[in-house]
Amino acid sequence: MTPSPLRPAHRGSSLAALLAFAAAVILLAIFPSFVKKPYVLHMGVMLFLAVIQGQAWNVIGGYTGQYSVGHSAFFGIGAYATMMLLEVNKIPPWWGIWAAMASAMILSLIIGSITFRLRGPYFVLASISVAEIIRLAALHFKGFTRGAEGFLLSSIPPLHLFGTEIEFFTKRSFYYVGLLLAVVTIAANWAVQHSKLGYYFQAIREDQDAAHSLGINLSFYKNVALAISAAFTAAAGGFFAMFVKFIDPNIAFGLDVSVQIVLICIVGGIGTIIGPVLGAMVLVPLSEILRNPRGLVQVGVLSADSGVVRFIETYLSNAHLLVFGILVVVVILFAPEGVLGVIRRIVGRSRRRRTAPDAAASPA
Amino acid sequence: MPMLEIQHVSKFFGGLAANADVSFSMEGGMIMGRIGPNGAGKTTLFNCITGYYPPSKGEVMFKGVRLNGLQPDQVCRLGMVRTWQKVRPLAKMTVLDNVMVGALARTSSLAKARDVAHEQLHIVRLDHKDDHLAGGLPIGERKKLEVARVLATKPELLLLDEVMGGLNPAESEEIIQLILDLKRRGLTQMVIEHDMKAIMRISDRIVVLNSGEKLTEGNPQEVANHKDVIAAYLGERVE
Amino acid sequence: MTVFLQSMLSGLLVGGVYALIGVGLTIIFGVMRVINFAHGDLLMLGMYATWFIFTKSGLDPYVALLATAPLLFLWGAFLQKVFINRVLNALPQNQILLTIGLGLIMSNSMMLLFTSDYRILTTTYSSSSFDVGGLSVSQPLLYSFLITAAITGALFWFLSRTDTGQAIRATAQDREAAQLMGINVRWTSILAFGIGSALSGAAGTLIAPTYYIYPQVGSAFTLKAFVIVVLGGMGSIVGATLGGLIIGVTESLAAIYVASGLKELVVFVLFLALLLFRPSGLLGKSRA
Repeated sequence: MTPSPLRPAHRGSSLAALLAFAAAVILLAIFPSFVKKPYVLHMGVMLFLAVIQGQAWNVIGGYTGQYSVGHSAFFGIGAYATMMLLEVNKIPPWWGIWAAMASAMILSLIIGSITFRLRGPYFVLASISVAEIIRLAALHFKGFTRGAEGFLLSSIPPLHLFGTEIEFFTKRSFYYVGLLLAVVTIAANWAVQHSKLGYYFQAIREDQDAAHSLGINLSFYKNVALAISAAFTAAAGGFFAMFVKFIDPNIAFGLDVSVQIVLICIVGGIGTIIGPVLGAMVLVPLSEILRNPRGLVQVGVLSADSGVVRFIETYLSNAHLLVFGILVVVVILFAPEGVLGVIRRIVGRSRRRRTAPDAAASPA
Repeated sequence: MPMLEIQHVSKFFGGLAANADVSFSMEGGMIMGRIGPNGAGKTTLFNCITGYYPPSKGEVMFKGVRLNGLQPDQVCRLGMVRTWQKVRPLAKMTVLDNVMVGALARTSSLAKARDVAHEQLHIVRLDHKDDHLAGGLPIGERKKLEVARVLATKPELLLLDEVMGGLNPAESEEIIQLILDLKRRGLTQMVIEHDMKAIMRISDRIVVLNSGEKLTEGNPQEVANHKDVIAAYLGERVE
Repeated sequence: MTVFLQSMLSGLLVGGVYALIGVGLTIIFGVMRVINFAHGDLLMLGMYATWFIFTKSGLDPYVALLATAPLLFLWGAFLQKVFINRVLNALPQNQILLTIGLGLIMSNSMMLLFTSDYRILTTTYSSSSFDVGGLSVSQPLLYSFLITAAITGALFWFLSRTDTGQAIRATAQDREAAQLMGINVRWTSILAFGIGSALSGAAGTLIAPTYYIYPQVGSAFTLKAFVIVVLGGMGSIVGATLGGLIIGVTESLAAIYVASGLKELVVFVLFLALLLFRPSGLLGKSRA
């Protein structure tokens, strides 16, 4: 049951949604058998990554209403823990990532105990400060983190599973891992939403004091939400580190990472399960194309001497942040409910509302 | 043992005494009305009792348990809940979900919570709107929703803060009937109201506050004829 | 001891410029309750404007101030009228995101126009210093401190002695009451954002001779500005001034006594402590 500010929930649609989801996953799973171009698979991996990040943030930001703009703290911890365990201790990432998630959860409890006393904008500022503190510390304590030099991945050992050997040299393996993680994160989100946790998180978002008086232990539940969010964000970080093979404090802990995570949800539709997916579908292709327009040539969408490619390369290289900025402004001003809200409005208008007039009254 | 005992409770904000040495007690099953002019400290006392902030002095005892310093959620689980003077619907959630949040204080099963929620919505006669968004309801229904929501927490003592404020006579009458109905079901209630006629009708006992102090206490007849009460309300005669 | 005094002195001088940034931010917050995440980027624009003027015409930055400040004022007024005004009643989180978006647009547009290359603006006195009683006083820092003091003084005068200034203060105190008294709060909001931007841009101009100029330089200053404003108390100009000086000194001392690489970290830790234990700051009105 996804609460919508525009229309009340329709319980019967969840079976249809489940089937649609299963169909989508199956399609995505067989996709690499048909399309083998590395650029497309690369895009897929980045898409899954964004979905994981967005779903994870949604738990604390969208449902519980605590807008953390410091989630890079968890992302980076996940990246560094997984990377360091592999490079320094030779622990393969499928074990390392558990340690990464655990450290992120511990970190989240510390952060939560500090920041959850604060409300609204003060909480946002505190979350940013924590991430910055960690980034600066990572830059400074070179003995531990190699500072600005960063960590370069040497190689990922092959994984022996069910008698086969899975290697991690090609993008294909990452694609499947990414898909798996994305599915798990979405499933976890769905489970949270349809549990007591989900109701309590939303109550906290809507009115903390009312929630408190209804028997909800605010700091406990906020911490649970943050812990869940942190764990999945760290998983994304670990996966990211293995995929891009190089991390440094700015890549892992930078403010723009935090901002992008929030963007995925804002652009897509905050507080919903499909929102981050939509957001990822908008942001990732934009960002990848701007970063690497040649990829479009590889895929055959454009020819090698296309004016579009040249234009992007000459004028817009690395302009993805600019586009993000424009997107944020446009979304906040004209579509605060994100792409999902726009879709709903279009569908609603074309369907001619059939509910009673006072049900369609806009909420406070 | 009385259900609720307020013993010499005072609450200071800086130099201002919002409540000064207030004492009274409530037995189970009764309806106690609390009246007083604006600024008399009625809501402050509610906030102290339910753990929003602790009293500066004095003790609050509920079923023999000392409530001072407990958090609102703990107070709720002990069996005491309150409604808010300015209604607080969980706006982006449906009416049913709102009440389910209350029900989840007593169960972790969504199915059970849903059943309890439907029950409470039926009691307040709001079940036809269970899938509407709480934020879109008119004020009268928001008040009923809030009552349903706190009822879902299965309280023993219900504190109603100006629940009839802003309602038209028909809506107020519905609330009065609801309060009397709840009393019949065994619920203890403390009601803050400005509507004198309503208070007179429903209360077993009335406590009058003025400027943070307890002016007097008694059954409706005694209070209505008390000269200080009449004076506090600027000479307004009460039927 | 000399090290300590030297450190204090440099810290104070830098703190003056910090104060300017903080005052701008606090005016914006005071009048509109908006947390302006693009504040550092406005400073960055000031830096680039100064550098551009200097490179094209050789005009001294401190003179260029007369051009850059009004320019940034107009830019800020524009931003307020077209963008910020629409979210004055939205959730604070959305306001923050909007200003973050505007900041991203500003910094990345500059990156596209000027590339990420570090620019420097070297004047004849960029690395000169005076010798005062055994302590070395950086010339450009001293000049900017003096100009900052002058600007702050002028601002105080404006806010307390002119009708417009008092209208701004009234709006900051109580927006609705100000409106009822006939003050055009939309104009005061535009003015406030304009002034805040002008101050930030001015700070950029003043530090242009001594800092590297690059598109992303703003974000560090934004965060620092927040620390300053919370320290001094959101909405308090005197507080922001004091806050700026305190932060300047803290950073300077931390560089010497803790570790140079950790000086910013110390400021953030201080910030967190503030948010937790004294969110209303030194002089602020305690509004959450």
